[in-house]
Parts: sequence; C-alpha cells; structure tokens
Amino acid sequence: MIKTILVAAVFALGSVTTLAQTSQEKGLAIAVEADKRGEGFGDSQVELKMVLVDSKGTESPRDMRVKSLEGLGEEGDKSLMIFDTPIDQKGVAMLTYTHKEKSDDQWLYLPALKRVKKISSKNKSGPFVGSEFAFEDISSQEVEKYTYNYLRDETFDGKDCFVVERFPTDKYSGYTKQVAWIDKAEYRALKIDFYDRKKSLLKTLENKDYKLYLDKFWRPALSVMQNHQTGKGTRLEYKGYEFKVGLNDKEFTKNSLKRAK
Amino acid sequence: MKRFSILSLLALMSPLSQAELSVTSQLDYEATGYFADSKASTNDTRLNQSLAFRTELYKELEGDQSITFKPFFRLDENDDERTHFDVRELIWHKVADEYELKAGIGKVFWGVTESQHLVDIINQTDAVESLDGEEKLGQPMVQLLLERDWGNLDLFVMPYHRERTFVGKDGRLGAGQEYADGIYESSDEEKHVDIAARFYTYIDEFEYAVSLFHGTSREASLGLDVSNQFNPKILPYYAQITQLGLEMQYLNEGWAWKFEGVLRDGMPSSDMSTPAGQFPVFFNGSALALADDDQYFASTAGFEYTQVGILDTRIDLGWVVEHLFDSRQEDASAAAFEHDVLLATRWAANDAASSTLLAGVLVDYEYGDYSLSVEGDTRVLNNMTLSVEARVFAPQEDNPLWGFRNEDFIKLTLSYYL
Repeated sequence: MIKTILVAAVFALGSVTTLAQTSQEKGLAIAVEADKRGEGFGDSQVELKMVLVDSKGTESPRDMRVKSLEGLGEEGDKSLMIFDTPIDQKGVAMLTYTHKEKSDDQWLYLPALKRVKKISSKNKSGPFVGSEFAFEDISSQEVEKYTYNYLRDETFDGKDCFVVERFPTDKYSGYTKQVAWIDKAEYRALKIDFYDRKKSLLKTLENKDYKLYLDKFWRPALSVMQNHQTGKGTRLEYKGYEFKVGLNDKEFTKNSLKRAK
Repeated sequence: MKRFSILSLLALMSPLSQAELSVTSQLDYEATGYFADSKASTNDTRLNQSLAFRTELYKELEGDQSITFKPFFRLDENDDERTHFDVRELIWHKVADEYELKAGIGKVFWGVTESQHLVDIINQTDAVESLDGEEKLGQPMVQLLLERDWGNLDLFVMPYHRERTFVGKDGRLGAGQEYADGIYESSDEEKHVDIAARFYTYIDEFEYAVSLFHGTSREASLGLDVSNQFNPKILPYYAQITQLGLEMQYLNEGWAWKFEGVLRDGMPSSDMSTPAGQFPVFFNGSALALADDDQYFASTAGFEYTQVGILDTRIDLGWVVEHLFDSRQEDASAAAFEHDVLLATRWAANDAASSTLLAGVLVDYEYGDYSLSVEGDTRVLNNMTLSVEARVFAPQEDNPLWGFRNEDFIKLTLSYYL
C-alpha cells in the first residue's frame, strides 16, 4: 500500500516536472542527451574530401585527414587536421583545442616557412579554407557553446525529430541562431539552419548517410552545406572512419603539428 | 663523405623498404621585369628569367622514425651566383615518448613578426633567393626536442657554418659587386661548433620564447677586400657572437601584439664612414681587428589587427604596424633597420583559389627612405599557383641602399606541382 502510494507520488512528481520543464530546459536536455550518446569514442581518425562548389557548379576538391581525441572531464576535444591537397597546401596542418567555457585555441602550421601561427578566436566566423563551412562549424560542438530552446516535433526525411533552436554564447560567432533537426531515435543532427548576424537564413547543413561505428557512435558519411545567399555549397565526404586507434595527447601538441604528415 | 651519406640515406629510402615513399615536387618559372636600366649592375637587362626545382621525399621508418630529403636547384638566366643547388633538408627524425631527436641537415624557424626576422638564427639566409630573407639554406645539426608540462625546450648542436649567398655581379639586385670567400673570426672557421637553445610555451593567449645562440654569426659583416686593387671584392666576415633572443605574442580580440628582440654580443661595429653605396673598408685578414666588438640591441615591435569578413564579404582585412629599432643607430650594418616603421595591409579573399595580398611600405623616418612592396598569391589550376611580388625603392643618397634606386621590379612566379 505504502509502496503503491510512493510509486504514484513518484509518477505524479515526474509528470509535474515534465509539465514544468520550460522549452529552454527541454532544448538543453536534448543537447545534453545528444552529447552523452557521443561520449566514450576515445579517439578517431577519418579521411575527408572537401568539395567546394561555386554557383555555376564548378568543383574544387581538397583532401585532408582528421584526427580527434576526446576530452576528459572539463576538457573539450582536441583535433588535428592535415591537408594533402590542394597540393600547394600539402602538409598544412591545423590543431584545435576546444574548450567548454572559453574560446577555442587554434594553431596553423605552414610547412614552407616552418611556422606555427596562432589563429585569433575572433576568426571563428571566417570561412574555413575558402569553403562554406566557418571555423566554428567544423570545431567540436560542446554543449556549453550554446543556449537552447525546444521549438516543436517534426518529421524530417521520414524520421521523427525534435526541432531545437540554439544560440551561440561566444560573441565572435557569425550566427544569431541555429535551428537543428535532431532525430528522436538516435539524437543525430540531421539538418541545421544557420542565421547570420542580420537574422536572415544564411546556410543549411544536411548530414546524410549516417553509419554506426562500434555499435554506439553515429557519423555521417556525407555533409552538405548550402549557402542560400550566394548559391555556393560545400560537400564533406568522410571515408575510412576508425575509432580507438590509440592516439594520445602527444599527437595533439604544437610540436606534433610540425611533424604531421 | 657527405656524398656517401646522401647515397646511403637514399638507399634507405629506396622502394625496397616497406613503408611508402612520399614524393612531392615543385617547378617554378620566374620572370622579373625591371622598370629602368640599372645604374650599378653590369647587367642592364630589364627581363630576368629563372627556373627552380624543389622536391620532397619523405619516408616513415619503423619505430617512429622518418627521413626527409629536400633538394633544391635554381637556374638563373643572368646571375651565376643565383644558379645554385642546396640540400634544404636531409634529416632523420625519431619520436620517442620523452623526447624527439633530429640529425642531419635541417630547417628551423623562430619568430613572430612580419617585417624582419631578428631572432631567427639557426639557418643561414639564402639571400640570392629573395629580398625578404625568408629563404634559408639547409643547416647541419643535431636537435633534441623536449616537450614537458612546463613548456618546450629545443637544444641544438651545429657543427658546420654555411656562408650567406649573395647576388652576383650580373644580378640586377647585386649593384655590380663581387664577393670574396668569407673569412672567420674563429680559427676553426666554418667548422666551429655552434650551440643554441630555445624555450617556448604559452599561457592562454600569450605565447613567448626565450632563445640563446653561441657561435658563428649568420649575418656577415661586409668589408672591402682590396688585396687585389684591380678587382676589389666585398669581403664577408663572420664573427663569433652570442645572441639572446625574446619573442612574445599576445592575441586579444582581433589584435595580435608582437615583439621580437635580440641582444647580440660580438658583432664588429662598422663605425667607419660609409660613402654612398660603398661599404666600410676592411683589409683582408689582419686589419679586421679594427672592427671592435660591440654589444647591441635590436627589436621589432607592433601589432596586426584583423577584421574578419569586412563589409559583409568573405574577405579578411588585416592591418600590420611594426616598429624596427637598432641601438647602433647610424653605426648599424647596411642590412639593419635602425629606425623604421612598417605599415602594411593583408587581404585574404577566402576564395577557392586561396588568394591573398600583402601590401606595405617600410619607412625610415630619420633618413626619409622608403620602400614599397606588394606580394600576392592565387591558385590558377589545381596544381598550379601564381605569385606576384613588386618592389619600389626610394633610398636617400647617403643610404647604403642607394644602389637599389633603379632596381624597382615586378616578379611573377608560376609554380607547377607534380
């Protein structure tokens, strides 16, 4: 009897909290859950083909490799991006330390001069190697980098989705807001609309052909960013994802940039 | 001996070894147009063509080791001194848990500023290649790199000195001068063993480095060798020096604050009168004692302010302001900037062709000299880039750079990658 009452009380409490949850709280809860599902990948590497497509459809491809190391505790992820083409950029490498609270640290290595240059965090809104992706779009998406607002449920591409707005907390972000379609089954971002500083729709990102790795981690094989204002687009094609290959901190230092091949 | 070691390293890189050999090559065609006939050079051609070929062979070996080989060759239409071959790198590299070790011919860059690279001293400048001093000759060295929680420490032992290259008498930028073989303060001459160390680390947005070098100066003190009166040549003299270097950079919002400074001990001071376009007269050998050793301080300090995406475009615009100082003032060597200011603007189009442009003026505010420079780069094909460099010199009559007054040029370089 007592047990039944307790259970009933818990249920009642549960429904009360659900009812009391604001759209901001629900938005944040979705982001936290999505982040949690991505935890534990340890380290990964992938080959990436980035294809810039101009408004006439002319394509300029570039090849790179990306190594990532999951941050533990309060640390954000670290990533190392190494360029293989265009061939004049071969050996150019970029190291990023994502941080949850403060701006990311980013260094670029120019092999012709043997020079490592620190990139200003103000640069995050700028285009990444001439593409439609900004620096901030390709860096690790930590929960703390945005505030959230749940909008509605909607079906996208045949999947039940949450539609969540998120607002960058960094004043140097090039966006006023992003609207993300996150599927309810796996908490994957299927589509994101980006709104510029004038609050107009600037770009749309679609993540496609999600594949499951190690029975836990979903990664898209194709990401397409379309700029609505210029008609230009950029395609990212991922190939040969590997997880837990044994990368460590030593491979994500300023010195390691110089020997990245 | 040297040839043997190159051959044995090449054998290591042969296809018989298991790991993949990566090869990248670059062929440059360069055409330089001068706006006027030369007043000083024996060569008054207004068009100078040149070809350069460089290649990089890289091979990973077992046990976190690798070998890199980068030969370089330039063929110049007019200047025999600029036609040259160099091994830019031929270096073995081992990465262990607690250290990295490199041995062979290597290249290292130190510094943060744009207008000049005072602190950068490991490699000799390949001065026939470019005016900006950014092209370097390969340096024989053993380098130990220690990366710790408290920062990075690099230690160098350099058993051989490379002489600076100089534009020959048939090169337009050589003012018709000929250079004798260099002479050394050390009795070990080029075999003096130089040592260096550099500590560098960062705290949030503040990066700094402290370096120490002891050995043969990379910068040559230039005198006149009058041992053959009918054919006087410029005589490069390489003193034994000690250099303490400091580099600092602080990034804040769009600002990058930069400082480089050196304290150098052992460079001869050239306090003899310097007639226009001439050099202080040193007599070959003994009379070099004339030149006193002096301690001096030189620095470059300034900032770069970057506006990302100006006027709602994709273009980044940067403003570079640097002040160049040398405590020797009018006694400074011809290559030094004693009281100069660089004002420059950097454009990055952020387009598919990765186009950039850097235009600036360097003003000597005491002498009233200035020089203008424009450098641009763009990719014309997937495997071809085009770069442009233009310079205008406006030296005063009493300035050592007076010889450059008619050498304004525009240079186009087409680089083909294979």
